[in-house]
Amino acid sequence: MGALAFAHPAYLWGLAAMALPVLVHLFNQRRPRPLAFGAIEFVLRSQRQKARRLRLRQILLLALRCLLIAAVALALSRPSIRPKGAQTATQLGPQATALVLDASLSMRYRLGSQTLFARARSEALAALDRLGTDEPLTVGLCAGPNAFLGGNIGAPSFDRVAARRLLQNAQPTWLGSDLSSCMAAAAKALGESPLAGKRIIAFTDLAAHSLRLDAPPPLVPPPPLPNGQVGQPIRPTVVLVDAAQGKELPNAAIIAVVVRPATTLGARGYEAIATVANYSAQAVVGLPVSLRIGPETLAKGFVDVPARGTAKKTLSAVLPAGVVTGRVELAHDEGQGLDEDDGQDFVVHVPRDVKALLVDGSPSSLRTRDEAFFVEAALAPARTGGRIVAQTLDADTASNNTLDDIDVVLLLNVAAPPKAFAERLKTAVQKRGMGLFVALGDHVDPDAYNEAFGDLLPRPLHLFKSAAEPGTPGAEEHAARFGLIDWAHPLFRIFGPADRESLESARTYRYALLKPEAGQAAQTLASYDDGAPALIEARRGQGRVLLYTSTVSRSFSDWPIRSSFLPVLQQTVSYLASALEDRAPQVLLVGDERPLAAPAGAQIAQVIAPDGKDAPLRRDQTGLALTVGPVEQPGLYKVLLTVAGQKREEPALAFVVLADPRESDLRRVDEAELKAQLGGANSAQVAASAQAAEGAHGLPLWGGLLLLGALALLGEGALTRR
Amino acid sequence: MTLDPALLARLGPLQLRARRVMEGVLTGLHKSPHHGQSVEFSEHKEYAPGDEIKHIDWRAYAKLDKYYVKRFEMETNLRALLVVDASGSMAYGRGAFTKLGYAATCAGALAYLLSRQGDQVGLLVAGEPDPLSTERLPKGVRSYLPFGASPAHVQELLRRLEREEGRGTTSLAPALDFAAEKAGRRALVIVLSDLFDATERTVPALKMLRGRRHDVLLLQTLDREELDFPFDDPTRFLSMEDDRQIDAQPRQIRASYLEELQRFLDGTRRELARADVEVEQVATDLPPDRVLLRLLARREEA
Repeated sequence: MGALAFAHPAYLWGLAAMALPVLVHLFNQRRPRPLAFGAIEFVLRSQRQKARRLRLRQILLLALRCLLIAAVALALSRPSIRPKGAQTATQLGPQATALVLDASLSMRYRLGSQTLFARARSEALAALDRLGTDEPLTVGLCAGPNAFLGGNIGAPSFDRVAARRLLQNAQPTWLGSDLSSCMAAAAKALGESPLAGKRIIAFTDLAAHSLRLDAPPPLVPPPPLPNGQVGQPIRPTVVLVDAAQGKELPNAAIIAVVVRPATTLGARGYEAIATVANYSAQAVVGLPVSLRIGPETLAKGFVDVPARGTAKKTLSAVLPAGVVTGRVELAHDEGQGLDEDDGQDFVVHVPRDVKALLVDGSPSSLRTRDEAFFVEAALAPARTGGRIVAQTLDADTASNNTLDDIDVVLLLNVAAPPKAFAERLKTAVQKRGMGLFVALGDHVDPDAYNEAFGDLLPRPLHLFKSAAEPGTPGAEEHAARFGLIDWAHPLFRIFGPADRESLESARTYRYALLKPEAGQAAQTLASYDDGAPALIEARRGQGRVLLYTSTVSRSFSDWPIRSSFLPVLQQTVSYLASALEDRAPQVLLVGDERPLAAPAGAQIAQVIAPDGKDAPLRRDQTGLALTVGPVEQPGLYKVLLTVAGQKREEPALAFVVLADPRESDLRRVDEAELKAQLGGANSAQVAASAQAAEGAHGLPLWGGLLLLGALALLGEGALTRR
Repeated sequence: MTLDPALLARLGPLQLRARRVMEGVLTGLHKSPHHGQSVEFSEHKEYAPGDEIKHIDWRAYAKLDKYYVKRFEMETNLRALLVVDASGSMAYGRGAFTKLGYAATCAGALAYLLSRQGDQVGLLVAGEPDPLSTERLPKGVRSYLPFGASPAHVQELLRRLEREEGRGTTSLAPALDFAAEKAGRRALVIVLSDLFDATERTVPALKMLRGRRHDVLLLQTLDREELDFPFDDPTRFLSMEDDRQIDAQPRQIRASYLEELQRFLDGTRRELARADVEVEQVATDLPPDRVLLRLLARREEA
């Protein structure tokens, strides 16, 4: 039971009118005027039978009249039982009003038969109807990085039609919202109204993430005083209308999905690691999670999530080659809760088939002595799932062979090639984007190499260094190890912390030292513990060149027999063939923009949003660089290219937009703290509906009072008639 | 023409008032066919067309060979006793007349009328006897004037009436007994009273009077306020005859009061009508001459 509140307490003075029937009663009870009367006999007879009833009636009449007046006076003051927590914040007189409608993703939460947003919108429309004709109004939809959709909220005006249209057409977005900023902006806009009363009515789910308790409370800038001074800012009345009506909003969401290759599953084995968050107070047990590619569900699993905690679930699958778009989602109830965050799309570029040419500089009839033995073993179809087709040729054959359909050339301990072959290699790398992997060995003469390849090498070779002689005692200790490794690089990204040991434990006895930087930038991916580069990469034209300063056979290093060799080599081939994405997946949130670069010879025609509509595109002055966004919807965006007048989809450019994960957290803000932050119970209140918040709110009582008054009137009439 | 009681009340002495009323009555009677019919022969008159043929005296015709019509003298020895109730309740009246004043005016006018016809009029004032009075009168009779017809008698009668004021309890029954005794042979007894008698013996006394073959006429005099009960303010009603009193809200008891009063009036009238006692209920705001005319007209019909 809440407190009793009066919308128009001034009418309570009407209770004083109860004195009237009391006076009438006293007047009737006053000292009777004596009158000598002839027919007293009949007076006596009449009075005797009625005396007692009359006295009772007098009192009844008095009570009824008092009741009538009290009921009317009370009804006029419009009392109501205010629901718990709502406090008086009603100001008398007209107020400039800002209606702030939270249009964030969390408002899409379905509660009962409708979404929170639909409920909030109808509340807002009802609040609009209840505004006095002398109350100017402004309406804003609160979502996105700029506080309000479309920039800002307008100054209060009397254009009810526009306000109504805005509210009626309002739709929830997938954006996050910052209601604190919205209210601050609304307060600022209210400063444009000359009215003294200022009021902000916000329709929201009261989610803690959008109401920042550490933000300054909304303040209306003071009107300029006539003498040019600046007055005190005004604290507006803030009414937060709770679209959730005080209910807890349990929600589970997938807040992150990481898709990465799973080496244990073979070449195209991938695992999707979904982070599932549970924002409700109860733990969730056995929540089904599924991995879907298109209409097909590839993997399913169950996850237990503790209350207010997160859990990770890994779903594994072998993916087809190419650009794969998929989705990890939770099982959800269509009619209830927030569905929009129950799944996340992903795009993964599964390496396509790569044709590799292995140039064996030191072939041997003994398989294990062959320079290419370990590389061939690493790239064997059984290990790569057939996505790498490796062909091994000796140096002479290779130099006469065509390079046209080769994606990667691996030079393994090859003596400096003839100039013509080196030129062909250079052309293929720079013009065609072919990858070149160079591993050294005893056939390599640094000077001849520098001569033959020129600036194709990431850095010129200097000389070989022997750290230890293999087979001699103590060689294990003296041998070089990998020191610094760029774990973030695609080559090494596949290594989890537990897997790194096999890479770090590799011993290298002899390796080439490199001359200092020749000018063109090269990136060291791994270096030995003395700082000498072990793997160094350089971009040359459209292709890449990767130099390994030791051998891929056991002659200079024992790395080839380590378990880390195989994945690194596979990754290397894929990477050099540009089959691996060389950048970390870009996380694009709803509301962001992103530049799009069309491949050579093509133009970006359109970007299709998940709902099938065109996403906004913006071209810069040159007309070449394109920016897509701000993207409004989470999900997969497809890109259509125009190539030679033909439109086609380019899967490689598809990208995923994620909803703001904060919006999934529907935990309610602490009402008491919020009210304290907004200025206490006198200026802020939280209510289930705007009507309830207008002082005339809560359980209205005047209807009953009027009925009571009418009954009292009837009774009074019946009593006096007789 | 009628006499406004308010105007009449201002006329002053009862003599004037009574005479005025009588004149009004006479004016009203106008061409009254008041020739005696059953009474003694007075003279012969030569027949003229229009006279009743049945009144032609055939013996005179035989003697004188002329038509003579017999004329009769009206009976002069009608005796009328005016019984005026002078109890406390008759003193009520806040308008032009008290009930007693009205009754006295009517009685005076009647006395005038009757004596003018040569009838004998007597007066009996009912009420508690005047303690100072030396007259030896029975209980319930304040004053008694025997029958007489002379103008001096009428003057005495009027003087006594004028002197009376209402006080004491109503005890009409003993006065009526006394009247029955004094009226002797058949007489007209006119009772002017409100009949507000606590003892309930009045009606039997009236019936007894009638039983003695007297012609009894009751002029029940009531004040308009008693009939309508037009009071609004809370009032302490005091009895005019004893020390009873009661506080009442007139508005609340009006309906019940009127009901009670009507029951009393109807009951009285019905009871007396059954005993062949004529009852005329009059309010004191009616012109007295009108009342008397109506009374006379009714008697003429009877």
